[in-house]
Amino acid sequence: MSALSIVGAVDGNVADAGKAIALALGIGLGSLGAGIGIGNIFGSMIQAVARQPELRGELQGIQWLGFALTEAVVFYGLIGGLLAYVLV
Amino acid sequence: MKRLLTLAAGLFLALPAIALAADTTTTTSEKKFDPSDEWTLHEWIPIHLGPINLSITKAVAYLLLGALLSCLLGIFLMRVKTGKDPDRKQALGEIIYEVARVQVAEQGLPTKAMRTWFPYCASLMIFIWVVNMIGFIPLPLSDEKVTIAGVKVPTLAIFAATSTLSVTLALAFMTWMFTHVEGIRANGVMKYLKSWIPDVPKALYPLIVPLEILGQFMRLISLSVRLYANMLAGHMLILTFIGLIFVLGNLTVAVVAVPAAIAFYLFEVVIVVSIQAYIFAALSAIYIGSAIEPEH
Repeated sequence: MSALSIVGAVDGNVADAGKAIALALGIGLGSLGAGIGIGNIFGSMIQAVARQPELRGELQGIQWLGFALTEAVVFYGLIGGLLAYVLV
Repeated sequence: MKRLLTLAAGLFLALPAIALAADTTTTTSEKKFDPSDEWTLHEWIPIHLGPINLSITKAVAYLLLGALLSCLLGIFLMRVKTGKDPDRKQALGEIIYEVARVQVAEQGLPTKAMRTWFPYCASLMIFIWVVNMIGFIPLPLSDEKVTIAGVKVPTLAIFAATSTLSVTLALAFMTWMFTHVEGIRANGVMKYLKSWIPDVPKALYPLIVPLEILGQFMRLISLSVRLYANMLAGHMLILTFIGLIFVLGNLTVAVVAVPAAIAFYLFEVVIVVSIQAYIFAALSAIYIGSAIEPEH
């Protein structure tokens, strides 16, 4: 069984194709939220630095921390989706 | 000199593509291309101690290489003669030290724990960075063989040891254990366990206490899955884009697929590799620091 035949439809295997679509939809919708979150973080960072440029160094650490924490949310979705794809 | 180096690096990066192309002419008829094959770990040197499997696999080879390289990096950059004008090597070493100290360790560790736990956090950062980084350099460490001038050599491939869950889980488990050991050592068992529970009315305890205990275990999962999934997704994206050419069997796909793969490759190398190493070390520092000095 192929774990990641995103192009499963080529095989004519409808169940695999359905699962692939579900996986892609899940990750796509999941990345929507993280995209908004990451945008928020960098937007706030730009505002903060524009107001107080001398704080840039201190803020950068917090910014990357927040970025990584937010970005990881997509990957929880990815792992969940892959698990469901492989196991179901 | 610089131009020559760039040329050599470019040729080196182009080699896997050539090897892959040479390889596919013989093997496409035998089996289908499946990106997830890259993550099956074959036992290269089987070592079985009773029920424990200590075999050398691809991930273990990469880990050993990463450990060796991070030791060499430390020795090369940190052993400098003081008193002279600092050269470029010393400046680079100082930058790494400063990032590890100011950005990572001081984010979370209280001053009194700095001496004990700064080395751990710094080595975590350097080790994870090196392991992530060699995961993006094509190395002849793969299960596929290609015949060059009559000798069977492994094809060049990219694979990160951190894109297997057991590696990241072991790293996260280390941090998790140290967190609790240090918390108990600094506060005593009862006081440390009490510090898990925030200030809430007593009536809410049945709801809050299980959640907080669950939260401690979720740290283990979130810390390991973050690194694992980031590296896995990065490699999978590159592989899938390159693999599309072979899955669809159409060379014109390469016009779109190769630039996309290169873009993702650069994104991973420039941003993700360093951010994930930094984040893992910083969160370790924060967890250990918050266990030593709970907020209340």
